[in-house]
Amino acid sequence: MFELILAYLPFVWLTTRMTSGHRPRVAIVGSAQTQLRSAHRDRQHVDLIAEAVTQALLGTGLTIAEVDFVIDSGSDFLDGRSISNCGFLGAMGAHHKEESRIEEDGLWALTYAASKLLGGTGSVGLVIAYSKSSESDPRDYWSTLAEPFTQRPVGLDHRSAAGLYAQRYLRKHQLDASDLRRVSDRAWSRAAARDGNDADTVDLDTPEWDEQVATPLTLRDFARPVDGAVAVVVATDHVARQIGRESVWITGIGSAIDQHFLAAREPSSLPAAEAAARSAYRMAGIDSAADFDIVEVSAGSTVGELMVVEALGLAEAGSGLDCYADDGHAGLNVSGGALPADPVMATGLVRLHEVVGELAGRSPSADGSARRGLAHGTGGLGMQNHCVVTMERA
Amino acid sequence: MTAIAIVGTGQTEHARRRLDVSQAGLAREAVLEALADAGLTMDDIDSVVVASGPAMFGAVNQPEKWLVDALGARYKPVVRVTSGGGTGLAGALQAMNQIKGGLAKRVLVVAYDKLSEGALQASISTLYDPFWGRDFAVGIMGFSAAYWLARIDTLGHSEEAAAMVAVKNRKNAMLNPKAHVKKEVTVEDVLASRPLCWPIKLLDVPPISDGACAVILAAEDDAEAITDKPAWIRGMAYYCEADNSANRTMVQSEPLKSAAARVYQTAGITNPRRQFDVAEVQEPYTCFELSYYEGLGLCEEGGAADLIASGATAMTGDIPVNPSGGCMGANPIGATALIRLAEAAMQVTGSAGAHQIDGAELGLVQAGGGWANLRGVAVVGSSKD
Repeated sequence: MFELILAYLPFVWLTTRMTSGHRPRVAIVGSAQTQLRSAHRDRQHVDLIAEAVTQALLGTGLTIAEVDFVIDSGSDFLDGRSISNCGFLGAMGAHHKEESRIEEDGLWALTYAASKLLGGTGSVGLVIAYSKSSESDPRDYWSTLAEPFTQRPVGLDHRSAAGLYAQRYLRKHQLDASDLRRVSDRAWSRAAARDGNDADTVDLDTPEWDEQVATPLTLRDFARPVDGAVAVVVATDHVARQIGRESVWITGIGSAIDQHFLAAREPSSLPAAEAAARSAYRMAGIDSAADFDIVEVSAGSTVGELMVVEALGLAEAGSGLDCYADDGHAGLNVSGGALPADPVMATGLVRLHEVVGELAGRSPSADGSARRGLAHGTGGLGMQNHCVVTMERA
Repeated sequence: MTAIAIVGTGQTEHARRRLDVSQAGLAREAVLEALADAGLTMDDIDSVVVASGPAMFGAVNQPEKWLVDALGARYKPVVRVTSGGGTGLAGALQAMNQIKGGLAKRVLVVAYDKLSEGALQASISTLYDPFWGRDFAVGIMGFSAAYWLARIDTLGHSEEAAAMVAVKNRKNAMLNPKAHVKKEVTVEDVLASRPLCWPIKLLDVPPISDGACAVILAAEDDAEAITDKPAWIRGMAYYCEADNSANRTMVQSEPLKSAAARVYQTAGITNPRRQFDVAEVQEPYTCFELSYYEGLGLCEEGGAADLIASGATAMTGDIPVNPSGGCMGANPIGATALIRLAEAAMQVTGSAGAHQIDGAELGLVQAGGGWANLRGVAVVGSSKD
């Protein structure tokens, strides 16, 4: 059903358009993030945003004056501020430009920017996402995602939703909650080895990490909210060629949402993530997830990450843990992913920045062999919404 | 350039309080009407863009996710654009870009607000900077009054001229079946009404409403296959200006001028007053409609008071503005910008009913939000070019 109505018809049409004539392509010509840390106490939103924007433009030869439009992601609820983009337009370099706020993870903002370039509306776009969850209680952000009549009153929030998924996932695939440590241990050790976050300062041996917060999940199973900002500069192929820097090209975009009512969803899988991936793969002309050397996924919990990995096709249902074995998928969440550092609303765009760093050879861990990459973003109660962007180095 | 058209529109019954539906039910009502108008079902829709006012208005975070079940949008792309009061137009702009960029073929835009469920002005006051702006913020009314005072001094936008806007729009709303405020007033009534934040008085202010609007966009041949009366979008843009900087003029809106210049160039508009048959503008207060006349080039700077007094913007004038009654008839903030677009589409396709402007072929749309720093403009026509 989905294949036919959503994906098939538009993308046959799209493929025809993409391959005929001088269809513009979209390049990612620059990207940068601030350090992701539990709290940037000495800096305001505008400081974090301005740092990411300035750094993303460095090396592109572009100035803010050459940016045609700005698309940004952030949350009024996390910021404690209505239409919060209004307060940050100066720092975003958006003054007197076209600007839109997507109140969803920054990866969706990236897809909006890409659509503008593909459609010929401008040639350089700036995409920004940020989070300063240390200034509020992110649990309020999560619990207010649940509609107020049936789900919120019974205490359903991102933790209990993940716990329910975990119980069903582990039972179905005959796994134990302790098996999930393979996911979190690898994530934290990889993150701690990198400069872009403060994971190495977190003491994971204290008892609170093993307290059950949503049976069978412990705090260790959940993503840690952090502060930070990320900016990505996208451009048409014409501009990218002029820049002459190693660019990364967007090859596929897909997004899909599941129902809000958690009880109506599949119990131990994420079909919306699968649908998003299918759309992106079709646009990119890619048959299987095995084509990707670098994959960065977002998830609110260890079990969520496993379900995403399976939905993307990196592993069969119930076999996601295989990717975390010693001979597993080395290119999956090289950065550590979202569990050790989750700048809520910016997480997916950070994933894309990490993929770009690996493909363009700008990341310290890049060895020049990676050619194709995938970034995944998610949003909503129990990871209701999913976005997939595929990329390729020239 | 791909030509994109509006192929269906729908609006709820707007009301001060819609106690019979939830936010999701409200959105669904408008969507069902738009789908019926286009002769489509949700199976025919590739992508959904939701637009609503600040989420704090309705106290549900990312409410588009709640709407999914009621809209039948499972497994489709669904994303929400939020851009203050003009968010409906910002949502339509994203939908256009999805089609132009080849990411979708048919996009449903649904915009709504259920303002009866939240503390409106308190939520708006959180717009201001928490360190230096919030202590003396008075919702959106305080700075709007300051703007207007500056324009009274420099442009002659008198209280009487603004009152004429209230009289005109409230009169027009009498003919609009979707308007829920139907009471004619006189200039004297407006001038004598209670000051809320002088010179803004009670009758300068539109109602607070619950309501939703839905619009379906499609391109080229597909649009013509769906309907024999597509409303072609000849241009659309949405510009911003940054923070309350010292050099920000309070007299003429720079983002409005940028958006209008961009859209007029795309649509081939060189003489807006003569070329447009009808305009729908989003007037959060009467004084703003006067300002838009000038920013949109319907008259010269300082000419707005004369323009309204001349009757040119009345239903019977040469450039009728807000034949729907504008926000004075119904003001579900997050939906109002999309309502303006839908109303303009109805005008150029001859389907506006009792408030139809005879023979309207080219319509102008304006919307905006934030602290008057976000401004959008669109042009719709009965023909592609």
